[in-house]
Amino acid sequence: MGRLDGKVAIVTGAAIGIGPYYARGLAAEGAKVAIIDLDPADRVVAEIKAAGGTAMSMIGDVSDRATVGKFIGAVEQTYGAVHILINNASLARMARIPVTELSTEEWDRYFAVNVRGMFLCVQAVVPIMKRQNYGKIVNITSGTVWNGPPMMLHYVSTKGAILGMTRALATELGQDGIRVNAIAPGLTSTEYIGGRNDYAEYRQAMAKTRAIKREELPEDIVGTCIFFSSPDSDFVTGQCLVVDGGAMKH
Amino acid sequence: MGKLDGKVAIVTGAASGIGPSYAKALAAEGAKVSIADLEPADAVVRAIREAGGEAMTQICDVADAAAVARLVESTVKTFGGLHILVNNAAIYARYVAVRMDEISPADWDRAFAINVRGPFQCVQAALPHMRRQRYGKIINIASGTIFKGVPMMLHYVSTKGAILAMTRSMANELGKDGIRVNAIAPGLTSTDFLKSRNDIPGVLQTMAKTRALLREEEPEDLVGACVFFASPESDFITGQCLVVDGGQVMH
Repeated sequence: MGRLDGKVAIVTGAAIGIGPYYARGLAAEGAKVAIIDLDPADRVVAEIKAAGGTAMSMIGDVSDRATVGKFIGAVEQTYGAVHILINNASLARMARIPVTELSTEEWDRYFAVNVRGMFLCVQAVVPIMKRQNYGKIVNITSGTVWNGPPMMLHYVSTKGAILGMTRALATELGQDGIRVNAIAPGLTSTEYIGGRNDYAEYRQAMAKTRAIKREELPEDIVGTCIFFSSPDSDFVTGQCLVVDGGAMKH
Repeated sequence: MGKLDGKVAIVTGAASGIGPSYAKALAAEGAKVSIADLEPADAVVRAIREAGGEAMTQICDVADAAAVARLVESTVKTFGGLHILVNNAAIYARYVAVRMDEISPADWDRAFAINVRGPFQCVQAALPHMRRQRYGKIINIASGTIFKGVPMMLHYVSTKGAILAMTRSMANELGKDGIRVNAIAPGLTSTDFLKSRNDIPGVLQTMAKTRALLREEEPEDLVGACVFFASPESDFITGQCLVVDGGQVMH
Protein backbone atom coordinates (compact mmCIF):
# COMPACT_ATOMS: atom_id res chain seq x y z
CA MET A 1 0.00 0.00 0.00
CA GLY A 2 1.51 3.31 -1.07
CA ARG A 3 1.13 6.69 0.54
CA LEU A 4 -0.25 8.12 -2.70
CA ASP A 5 -2.69 5.35 -3.64
CA GLY A 6 -5.57 6.77 -5.67
CA LYS A 7 -3.78 10.06 -6.31
CA VAL A 8 -3.03 11.58 -9.70
CA ALA A 9 0.27 13.44 -10.05
CA ILE A 10 1.60 15.63 -12.83
CA VAL A 11 5.36 15.98 -13.17
CA THR A 12 6.55 18.54 -15.69
CA GLY A 13 9.94 18.14 -17.33
CA ALA A 14 10.28 14.47 -16.47
CA ALA A 15 11.95 13.09 -19.60
CA ILE A 16 15.49 13.70 -18.35
CA GLY A 17 17.32 15.15 -15.35
CA ILE A 18 15.81 14.86 -11.88
CA GLY A 19 12.21 14.71 -13.18
CA PRO A 20 12.18 10.99 -14.00
CA TYR A 21 13.20 10.25 -10.39
CA TYR A 22 10.27 12.28 -9.05
CA ALA A 23 7.91 10.54 -11.48
CA ARG A 24 9.11 7.04 -10.58
CA GLY A 25 9.13 7.89 -6.84
CA LEU A 26 5.52 9.12 -6.90
CA ALA A 27 4.41 6.12 -9.01
CA ALA A 28 6.10 3.73 -6.58
CA GLU A 29 3.90 5.22 -3.82
CA GLY A 30 0.80 4.46 -5.85
CA ALA A 31 0.15 7.71 -7.73
CA LYS A 32 -0.89 7.69 -11.36
CA VAL A 33 1.67 9.89 -13.06
CA ALA A 34 1.32 12.18 -16.09
CA ILE A 35 4.42 13.69 -17.64
CA ILE A 36 4.83 16.64 -19.97
CA ASP A 37 8.21 17.44 -21.52
CA LEU A 38 9.66 18.94 -24.68
CA ASP A 39 11.37 15.60 -25.21
CA PRO A 40 9.65 12.22 -25.35
CA ALA A 41 9.29 10.58 -21.92
CA ASP A 42 8.35 7.16 -23.28
CA ARG A 43 11.23 5.47 -21.49
CA VAL A 44 10.13 6.84 -18.09
CA VAL A 45 6.52 5.82 -18.75
CA ALA A 46 7.68 2.34 -19.76
CA GLU A 47 9.79 2.01 -16.60
CA ILE A 48 6.86 3.02 -14.40
CA LYS A 49 4.55 0.54 -16.15
CA ALA A 50 7.15 -2.22 -15.93
CA ALA A 51 7.29 -1.62 -12.16
CA GLY A 52 3.51 -2.08 -11.98
CA GLY A 53 2.58 1.59 -11.97
CA THR A 54 0.38 3.77 -14.14
CA ALA A 55 1.73 6.59 -16.29
CA MET A 56 1.15 8.65 -19.40
CA SER A 57 3.13 11.36 -21.15
CA MET A 58 2.77 14.09 -23.72
CA ILE A 59 5.32 16.09 -25.65
CA GLY A 60 4.77 19.76 -25.03
CA ASP A 61 6.07 23.13 -23.92
CA VAL A 62 4.83 24.36 -20.52
CA SER A 63 5.35 27.98 -21.55
CA ASP A 64 2.51 27.65 -24.07
CA ARG A 65 -0.96 28.16 -22.61
CA ALA A 66 -2.83 26.12 -25.23
CA THR A 67 -0.45 23.17 -24.83
CA VAL A 68 -0.78 23.21 -21.05
CA GLY A 69 -4.57 23.38 -21.35
CA LYS A 70 -4.61 20.44 -23.71
CA PHE A 71 -2.32 18.42 -21.47
CA ILE A 72 -4.24 19.04 -18.24
CA GLY A 73 -7.49 18.27 -20.10
CA ALA A 74 -6.06 14.95 -21.27
CA VAL A 75 -4.86 14.05 -17.77
CA GLU A 76 -8.25 14.83 -16.24
CA GLN A 77 -10.02 12.84 -18.91
CA THR A 78 -7.70 9.84 -18.53
CA TYR A 79 -7.32 9.75 -14.74
CA GLY A 80 -10.37 11.74 -13.62
CA ALA A 81 -8.55 14.10 -11.23
CA VAL A 82 -5.34 15.97 -10.46
CA HIS A 83 -4.15 15.95 -6.83
CA ILE A 84 -0.44 16.64 -7.16
CA LEU A 85 1.48 19.00 -9.44
CA ILE A 86 5.28 18.85 -9.44
CA ASN A 87 6.46 21.98 -11.26
CA ASN A 88 9.87 20.71 -12.26
CA ALA A 89 10.22 21.74 -15.92
CA SER A 90 12.93 24.32 -16.22
CA LEU A 91 15.58 25.57 -18.57
CA ALA A 92 18.92 24.89 -16.96
CA ARG A 93 21.46 24.71 -19.71
CA MET A 94 23.92 26.04 -17.14
CA ALA A 95 25.85 28.00 -19.74
CA ARG A 96 27.91 30.62 -17.95
CA ILE A 97 26.99 34.02 -19.31
CA PRO A 98 28.25 37.33 -17.86
CA VAL A 99 25.43 39.74 -17.06
CA THR A 100 26.67 42.16 -19.74
CA GLU A 101 26.28 39.49 -22.42
CA LEU A 102 22.86 38.20 -21.40
CA SER A 103 20.42 39.01 -24.22
CA THR A 104 16.84 40.10 -23.72
CA GLU A 105 15.74 37.04 -25.70
CA GLU A 106 17.63 34.65 -23.44
CA TRP A 107 16.29 36.39 -20.33
CA ASP A 108 12.72 36.19 -21.62
CA ARG A 109 13.09 32.58 -22.69
CA TYR A 110 14.15 31.53 -19.18
CA PHE A 111 11.30 33.44 -17.57
CA ALA A 112 8.82 32.04 -20.12
CA VAL A 113 9.66 28.43 -19.32
CA ASN A 114 10.74 28.54 -15.66
CA VAL A 115 8.22 31.05 -14.31
CA ARG A 116 5.36 31.53 -16.78
CA GLY A 117 5.32 27.78 -17.43
CA MET A 118 4.83 27.15 -13.74
CA PHE A 119 2.14 29.81 -13.51
CA LEU A 120 0.26 28.32 -16.48
CA CYS A 121 0.37 24.82 -15.03
CA VAL A 122 -0.92 26.10 -11.68
CA GLN A 123 -3.67 28.09 -13.36
CA ALA A 124 -4.81 25.02 -15.29
CA VAL A 125 -4.90 22.61 -12.32
CA VAL A 126 -6.36 24.93 -9.67
CA PRO A 127 -10.00 24.61 -10.86
CA ILE A 128 -9.69 20.81 -10.61
CA MET A 129 -8.02 20.97 -7.20
CA LYS A 130 -10.64 23.45 -5.96
CA ARG A 131 -13.40 21.02 -6.92
CA GLN A 132 -11.65 18.34 -4.86
CA ASN A 133 -10.98 20.87 -2.11
CA TYR A 134 -7.51 19.31 -2.01
CA GLY A 135 -4.29 19.74 -3.88
CA LYS A 136 -0.55 19.60 -3.42
CA ILE A 137 1.66 21.81 -5.55
CA VAL A 138 5.42 21.40 -5.34
CA ASN A 139 7.56 24.00 -7.08
CA ILE A 140 11.19 23.20 -7.78
CA THR A 141 13.36 26.19 -7.04
CA SER A 142 17.13 26.05 -6.48
CA GLY A 143 19.83 26.42 -3.87
CA THR A 144 21.33 29.07 -6.17
CA VAL A 145 18.76 31.51 -4.74
CA TRP A 146 20.80 31.36 -1.51
CA ASN A 147 24.38 31.27 -2.75
CA GLY A 148 23.86 33.47 -5.83
CA PRO A 149 26.38 31.87 -8.17
CA PRO A 150 27.66 34.26 -10.85
CA MET A 151 27.24 34.04 -14.64
CA MET A 152 23.75 32.56 -14.60
CA LEU A 153 21.68 35.55 -13.56
CA HIS A 154 18.69 34.62 -15.71
CA TYR A 155 18.43 31.15 -14.17
CA VAL A 156 18.92 32.31 -10.57
CA SER A 157 16.40 35.13 -11.03
CA THR A 158 13.71 32.73 -12.28
CA LYS A 159 14.27 30.53 -9.24
CA GLY A 160 13.92 33.54 -6.93
CA ALA A 161 10.60 34.34 -8.59
CA ILE A 162 9.44 30.80 -7.86
CA LEU A 163 10.03 31.32 -4.16
CA GLY A 164 7.79 34.40 -4.23
CA MET A 165 5.16 32.55 -6.25
CA THR A 166 5.16 29.67 -3.80
CA ARG A 167 4.34 31.96 -0.89
CA ALA A 168 1.72 34.05 -2.68
CA LEU A 169 0.01 30.93 -4.04
CA ALA A 170 0.02 29.28 -0.61
CA THR A 171 -1.82 32.25 0.85
CA GLU A 172 -4.30 32.55 -2.03
CA LEU A 173 -5.12 28.84 -2.30
CA GLY A 174 -5.09 27.78 1.36
CA GLN A 175 -8.84 28.29 1.75
CA ASP A 176 -9.37 25.74 -1.04
CA GLY A 177 -7.27 23.08 0.66
CA ILE A 178 -4.44 23.52 -1.81
CA ARG A 179 -0.93 23.39 -0.33
CA VAL A 180 1.99 24.97 -2.14
CA ASN A 181 5.59 24.29 -1.16
CA ALA A 182 9.01 24.49 -2.77
CA ILE A 183 12.08 22.29 -2.90
CA ALA A 184 15.50 23.83 -3.44
CA PRO A 185 17.98 21.20 -4.62
CA GLY A 186 21.70 21.81 -4.76
CA LEU A 187 23.81 21.14 -7.84
CA THR A 188 22.71 17.62 -8.68
CA SER A 189 24.74 15.08 -10.61
CA THR A 190 22.16 14.16 -13.20
CA GLU A 191 23.27 12.33 -16.32
CA TYR A 192 23.45 15.72 -18.03
CA ILE A 193 25.47 17.56 -15.39
CA GLY A 194 27.47 14.46 -14.51
CA GLY A 195 28.41 14.07 -18.16
CA ARG A 196 29.72 17.59 -18.57
CA ASN A 197 33.47 17.88 -18.23
CA ASP A 198 33.29 21.62 -17.57
CA TYR A 199 31.24 20.88 -14.45
CA ALA A 200 33.48 18.19 -12.95
CA GLU A 201 35.50 20.64 -10.88
CA TYR A 202 32.43 22.59 -9.78
CA ARG A 203 30.65 19.38 -8.74
CA GLN A 204 33.58 18.42 -6.53
CA ALA A 205 33.92 21.94 -5.13
CA MET A 206 30.20 21.92 -4.20
CA ALA A 207 30.57 18.55 -2.49
CA LYS A 208 33.19 20.07 -0.18
CA THR A 209 30.89 22.92 0.85
CA ARG A 210 28.26 20.49 2.12
CA ALA A 211 27.91 19.21 5.68
CA ILE A 212 27.45 15.81 4.00
CA LYS A 213 30.53 15.83 1.81
CA ARG A 214 29.53 14.16 -1.41
CA GLU A 215 27.89 14.92 -4.73
CA GLU A 216 24.11 15.26 -4.75
CA LEU A 217 22.25 12.58 -6.67
CA PRO A 218 18.73 12.77 -8.10
CA GLU A 219 17.62 10.05 -5.64
CA ASP A 220 18.46 12.38 -2.75
CA ILE A 221 15.51 14.65 -3.53
CA VAL A 222 12.79 12.07 -4.11
CA GLY A 223 11.88 11.63 -0.43
CA THR A 224 11.11 15.32 -0.06
CA CYS A 225 8.99 15.30 -3.21
CA ILE A 226 6.92 12.43 -1.79
CA PHE A 227 6.68 14.14 1.60
CA PHE A 228 5.31 17.36 0.09
CA SER A 229 2.94 15.28 -2.09
CA SER A 230 1.60 13.13 0.74
CA PRO A 231 -0.86 13.87 3.55
CA ASP A 232 2.13 13.82 5.93
CA SER A 233 2.72 17.46 5.00
CA ASP A 234 -0.90 18.61 4.93
CA PHE A 235 -0.33 21.39 7.49
CA VAL A 236 2.77 22.63 5.68
CA THR A 237 2.29 25.34 3.08
CA GLY A 238 4.29 28.28 1.75
CA GLN A 239 7.55 26.66 2.82
CA CYS A 240 10.79 25.94 1.04
CA LEU A 241 12.96 23.02 2.02
CA VAL A 242 16.58 23.07 0.88
CA VAL A 243 17.77 19.57 -0.03
CA ASP A 244 21.49 19.90 -0.65
CA GLY A 245 23.39 17.97 2.00
CA GLY A 246 23.58 21.04 4.20
CA ALA A 247 25.44 23.50 1.96
CA MET A 248 22.86 26.24 2.56
CA LYS A 249 21.15 26.46 5.94
CA HIS A 250 17.61 27.63 5.55
CA MET B 1 6.50 -2.55 7.63
CA GLY B 2 7.32 0.86 9.03
CA LYS B 3 9.71 3.51 7.83
CA LEU B 4 11.62 3.31 11.11
CA ASP B 5 11.77 -0.44 11.69
CA GLY B 6 14.82 -1.36 13.74
CA LYS B 7 15.45 2.23 14.80
CA VAL B 8 15.65 3.56 18.35
CA ALA B 9 14.36 7.05 19.13
CA ILE B 10 14.51 9.28 22.18
CA VAL B 11 11.79 11.90 22.49
CA THR B 12 12.31 14.38 25.29
CA GLY B 13 9.35 16.08 26.93
CA ALA B 14 6.84 13.51 25.74
CA ALA B 15 4.58 13.17 28.78
CA SER B 16 2.25 15.98 27.68
CA GLY B 17 1.87 18.61 24.97
CA ILE B 18 2.95 17.74 21.42
CA GLY B 19 5.60 15.23 22.58
CA PRO B 20 3.24 12.25 22.99
CA SER B 21 2.11 12.68 19.37
CA TYR B 22 5.74 12.54 18.15
CA ALA B 23 6.45 9.47 20.33
CA LYS B 24 3.36 7.58 19.15
CA ALA B 25 3.99 8.40 15.49
CA LEU B 26 7.62 7.26 15.60
CA ALA B 27 6.53 4.05 17.34
CA ALA B 28 3.80 3.50 14.74
CA GLU B 29 6.53 3.55 12.07
CA GLY B 30 8.42 0.83 13.92
CA ALA B 31 10.86 2.76 16.09
CA LYS B 32 11.49 1.73 19.68
CA VAL B 33 10.80 4.87 21.64
CA SER B 34 12.39 6.08 24.85
CA ILE B 35 10.55 8.94 26.51
CA ALA B 36 12.13 11.38 28.93
CA ASP B 37 10.14 13.92 30.87
CA LEU B 38 10.00 15.63 34.25
CA GLU B 39 6.54 14.11 34.61
CA PRO B 40 5.70 10.41 34.36
CA ALA B 41 4.87 9.35 30.78
CA ASP B 42 3.36 5.98 31.69
CA ALA B 43 0.14 6.71 29.82
CA VAL B 44 2.05 7.38 26.58
CA VAL B 45 4.12 4.21 27.00
CA ARG B 46 0.93 2.23 27.61
CA ALA B 47 -0.72 3.67 24.51
CA ILE B 48 2.31 2.75 22.37
CA ARG B 49 2.42 -0.79 23.74
CA GLU B 50 -1.33 -1.27 23.24
CA ALA B 51 -0.83 -0.31 19.61
CA GLY B 52 1.81 -3.02 19.29
CA GLY B 53 4.87 -0.79 19.65
CA GLU B 54 7.80 -0.73 22.03
CA ALA B 55 8.47 2.06 24.49
CA MET B 56 10.15 2.88 27.76
CA THR B 57 10.23 5.99 29.91
CA GLN B 58 12.19 7.56 32.65
CA ILE B 59 11.98 10.74 34.63
CA CYS B 60 14.65 13.08 33.35
CA ASP B 61 15.41 16.77 33.63
CA VAL B 62 17.24 17.55 30.38
CA ALA B 63 19.02 20.42 32.15
CA ASP B 64 20.73 17.83 34.38
CA ALA B 65 23.68 16.37 32.47
CA ALA B 66 23.95 13.33 34.73
CA ALA B 67 20.26 12.52 34.25
CA VAL B 68 20.65 12.88 30.48
CA ALA B 69 23.65 10.53 30.51
CA ARG B 70 21.58 7.97 32.43
CA LEU B 71 18.71 8.36 29.95
CA VAL B 72 20.91 7.68 26.94
CA GLU B 73 22.73 4.85 28.68
CA SER B 74 19.56 3.02 29.71
CA THR B 75 18.00 3.57 26.29
CA VAL B 76 20.99 2.07 24.49
CA LYS B 77 21.18 -0.77 26.99
CA THR B 78 17.49 -1.60 26.66
CA PHE B 79 16.99 -1.07 22.92
CA GLY B 80 20.51 -1.70 21.62
CA GLY B 81 21.27 1.62 19.91
CA LEU B 82 20.20 5.20 19.34
CA HIS B 83 19.41 6.54 15.89
CA ILE B 84 16.91 9.34 16.40
CA LEU B 85 16.82 12.14 18.95
CA VAL B 86 13.82 14.45 19.06
CA ASN B 87 14.75 17.42 21.23
CA ASN B 88 11.24 18.45 22.15
CA ALA B 89 11.46 19.18 25.88
CA ALA B 90 11.03 22.88 26.57
CA ILE B 91 9.48 25.23 29.04
CA TYR B 92 6.76 27.08 27.25
CA ALA B 93 3.49 27.28 29.07
CA ARG B 94 4.53 29.39 32.02
CA TYR B 95 6.27 31.87 29.72
CA VAL B 96 3.27 33.11 27.79
CA ALA B 97 2.27 36.74 28.25
CA VAL B 98 5.19 37.97 30.36
CA ARG B 99 6.42 41.53 29.84
CA MET B 100 10.15 41.68 29.39
CA ASP B 101 10.51 44.02 32.38
CA GLU B 102 9.19 41.20 34.53
CA ILE B 103 11.65 38.54 33.43
CA SER B 104 14.16 37.90 36.20
CA PRO B 105 17.69 36.68 35.56
CA ALA B 106 16.68 33.42 37.24
CA ASP B 107 13.72 32.99 34.82
CA TRP B 108 15.98 33.78 31.87
CA ASP B 109 18.61 31.29 33.00
CA ARG B 110 16.04 28.59 33.69
CA ALA B 111 14.61 28.98 30.18
CA PHE B 112 18.06 28.64 28.62
CA ALA B 113 19.03 25.77 30.89
CA ILE B 114 16.08 23.65 29.78
CA ASN B 115 15.37 24.85 26.24
CA VAL B 116 18.96 25.25 25.02
CA ARG B 117 21.46 23.56 27.32
CA GLY B 118 19.04 20.61 27.58
CA PRO B 119 19.07 19.78 23.84
CA PHE B 120 22.83 20.45 23.74
CA GLN B 121 23.41 17.94 26.53
CA CYS B 122 21.12 15.38 24.90
CA VAL B 123 23.06 15.67 21.63
CA GLN B 124 26.37 15.42 23.47
CA ALA B 125 25.26 12.22 25.20
CA ALA B 126 23.84 10.72 22.01
CA LEU B 127 26.91 11.50 19.87
CA PRO B 128 29.17 8.55 20.74
CA HIS B 129 26.41 6.12 19.81
CA MET B 130 25.42 7.88 16.59
CA ARG B 131 29.08 8.22 15.61
CA ARG B 132 29.66 4.52 16.16
CA GLN B 133 26.78 3.77 13.80
CA ARG B 134 27.92 6.52 11.44
CA TYR B 135 24.27 7.48 11.31
CA GLY B 136 22.00 9.67 13.33
CA LYS B 137 18.98 11.92 12.96
CA ILE B 138 18.59 14.82 15.34
CA ILE B 139 15.39 16.84 15.27
CA ASN B 140 15.32 20.05 17.26
CA ILE B 141 11.98 21.64 17.94
CA ALA B 142 12.26 25.37 17.33
CA SER B 143 9.22 27.65 17.04
CA GLY B 144 7.45 29.89 14.57
CA THR B 145 7.78 32.65 17.17
CA ILE B 146 11.39 33.27 16.12
CA PHE B 147 10.28 34.37 12.65
CA LYS B 148 7.41 36.48 13.92
CA GLY B 149 9.19 38.00 16.90
CA VAL B 150 6.26 37.31 19.20
CA PRO B 151 6.24 39.79 22.10
CA MET B 152 5.74 39.10 25.81
CA MET B 153 7.83 35.94 25.90
CA LEU B 154 11.32 37.19 25.16
CA HIS B 155 13.12 34.46 27.06
CA TYR B 156 11.21 31.72 25.25
CA VAL B 157 11.66 33.24 21.78
CA SER B 158 15.36 33.79 22.43
CA THR B 159 15.87 30.15 23.41
CA LYS B 160 14.20 29.04 20.19
CA GLY B 161 16.40 31.35 18.15
CA ALA B 162 19.37 29.65 19.77
CA ILE B 163 17.94 26.30 18.69
CA LEU B 164 17.95 27.41 15.04
CA ALA B 165 21.59 28.50 15.26
CA MET B 166 22.52 25.27 17.05
CA THR B 167 20.82 23.23 14.36
CA ARG B 168 22.96 24.83 11.65
CA SER B 169 26.27 24.60 13.52
CA MET B 170 25.62 21.02 14.58
CA ALA B 171 24.75 20.07 10.99
CA ASN B 172 28.13 21.34 9.81
CA GLU B 173 30.07 19.78 12.65
CA LEU B 174 28.39 16.37 12.54
CA GLY B 175 27.84 15.88 8.80
CA LYS B 176 31.08 13.95 8.38
CA ASP B 177 29.81 11.44 10.95
CA GLY B 178 26.62 10.80 9.01
CA ILE B 179 24.55 12.68 11.58
CA ARG B 180 21.78 14.90 10.20
CA VAL B 181 20.42 17.78 12.24
CA ASN B 182 17.21 19.58 11.31
CA ALA B 183 14.59 21.70 13.03
CA ILE B 184 10.82 21.88 13.01
CA ALA B 185 9.15 25.20 13.82
CA PRO B 186 5.55 24.64 14.88
CA GLY B 187 2.98 27.38 15.11
CA LEU B 188 0.79 27.88 18.17
CA THR B 189 -0.61 24.39 18.68
CA SER B 190 -3.86 23.51 20.41
CA THR B 191 -2.52 21.10 23.02
CA ASP B 192 -4.75 20.01 25.89
CA PHE B 193 -2.91 22.43 28.15
CA LEU B 194 -3.45 25.48 25.96
CA LYS B 195 -7.08 24.57 25.35
CA SER B 196 -7.62 24.42 29.12
CA ARG B 197 -6.33 27.93 29.64
CA ASN B 198 -9.04 30.56 29.81
CA ASP B 199 -6.79 33.27 28.41
CA ILE B 200 -5.73 31.23 25.37
CA PRO B 201 -8.76 29.99 23.37
CA GLY B 202 -9.41 33.38 21.82
CA VAL B 203 -5.78 33.47 20.76
CA LEU B 204 -6.02 30.01 19.17
CA GLN B 205 -8.95 31.18 17.03
CA THR B 206 -7.31 34.49 16.13
CA MET B 207 -4.16 32.65 15.04
CA ALA B 208 -6.20 30.32 12.86
CA LYS B 209 -7.37 33.29 10.80
CA THR B 210 -3.81 34.35 10.03
CA ARG B 211 -2.95 30.99 8.46
CA ALA B 212 -3.26 30.11 4.78
CA LEU B 213 -5.10 26.96 5.92
CA LEU B 214 -7.41 28.93 8.25
CA ARG B 215 -7.76 26.51 11.16
CA GLU B 216 -6.21 25.72 14.54
CA GLU B 217 -3.01 23.69 14.59
CA GLU B 218 -3.34 20.29 16.23
CA PRO B 219 -0.47 18.16 17.59
CA GLU B 220 -1.23 15.59 14.86
CA ASP B 221 -0.35 18.19 12.22
CA LEU B 222 3.30 17.99 13.24
CA VAL B 223 3.95 14.27 13.26
CA GLY B 224 4.44 13.89 9.49
CA ALA B 225 7.35 16.33 9.52
CA CYS B 226 8.86 14.58 12.55
CA VAL B 227 8.64 11.15 10.90
CA PHE B 228 10.05 12.62 7.66
CA PHE B 229 13.11 14.11 9.38
CA ALA B 230 13.57 10.87 11.35
CA SER B 231 13.39 8.64 8.27
CA PRO B 232 15.95 7.88 5.52
CA GLU B 233 13.78 9.89 3.11
CA SER B 234 15.44 13.05 4.43
CA ASP B 235 19.00 11.70 4.53
CA PHE B 236 20.38 14.43 2.25
CA ILE B 237 18.75 17.19 4.27
CA THR B 238 20.67 18.74 7.14
CA GLY B 239 20.83 22.15 8.78
CA GLN B 240 17.30 23.02 7.65
CA CYS B 241 14.26 24.33 9.46
CA LEU B 242 10.77 23.43 8.29
CA VAL B 243 7.94 25.64 9.50
CA VAL B 244 4.78 23.58 10.12
CA ASP B 245 2.08 26.09 10.92
CA GLY B 246 -0.53 25.99 8.18
CA GLY B 247 1.18 28.74 6.24
CA GLN B 248 1.45 31.61 8.66
CA VAL B 249 5.18 32.18 8.58
CA MET B 250 6.59 31.45 5.12
CA HIS B 251 10.15 30.30 5.40
